[in-house]
Amino acid sequence: MIFSRETENGATVLRIEGELDAVSVSDLRPVLDEIVSAAAATVIVDLTALRLIDSSGVGAIVSLYKRVRTKGGTVTVRGVREQPLAIFKLLRLDRVLMG
Amino acid sequence: MLQWFPVVGNQSIRLEVPGVLGHRDLVLRTVSAACKLLAIEVGIKRPAAGKFSAHVVSAVGEAFNNIALHGYRGREPDIIRLDLTLTEGAFRVDIQDFGNSFDPDSAQTPDLDALPESGLGVFIIRSFMDEVTYTPGSPNTLSLVKHIEVGARAVEGRGRKTSARLR
Repeated sequence: MIFSRETENGATVLRIEGELDAVSVSDLRPVLDEIVSAAAATVIVDLTALRLIDSSGVGAIVSLYKRVRTKGGTVTVRGVREQPLAIFKLLRLDRVLMG
Repeated sequence: MLQWFPVVGNQSIRLEVPGVLGHRDLVLRTVSAACKLLAIEVGIKRPAAGKFSAHVVSAVGEAFNNIALHGYRGREPDIIRLDLTLTEGAFRVDIQDFGNSFDPDSAQTPDLDALPESGLGVFIIRSFMDEVTYTPGSPNTLSLVKHIEVGARAVEGRGRKTSARLR
């Protein structure tokens, strides 16, 4: 997994590439904690280059969504396709996170 | 090169890896490659083939996680053995391990409206596969079956179909 974080038109954009799963999710958690601590108003998670996600990865993104919302911010996910999209649809996260 | 190996009329691929998360990627890439072979074998086109692969890879990934994280918790990890079998009308994945037994029927159905952050693995497996059976023991065996709905006409000489639809 590779991830990067940048600002785009005032929003915090987190790009995640490769696999977000039980193996890699621990590498991502500190970044998610930083985003929550920074109290970003708008967070965009870009999964255009994400090849694979499992329930551990989903849990991390849902946790980010909940914590940012608790602080009054919003989280949207974009670029979801193929296997990750199948998971998002099954768990109905496409309705909640993808607008 | 990955290829099917004939086993009593079916076609099968066997893979054995240590039961640790570091081998998850190898397993899922193999399963994904097997799904591509299957799609070619039975004549499945995109996007149905991609959906089929996404479902099987997701289910096997969750099963692998459960064994590596829970089955072998508190003990030296043994192997995880996968048999991928293309049968008439179905793709079967048998996953064996020698760890702690786990009854998938004991897993509760998650409340998706509550946006759960965990407890989704068995739900994903059951949702994406058509048949899920678990036999505890040494080894424990989890059998996952995905049906392939096949058109009636076979290609002469290959014994396979010209059209097929994946669920």
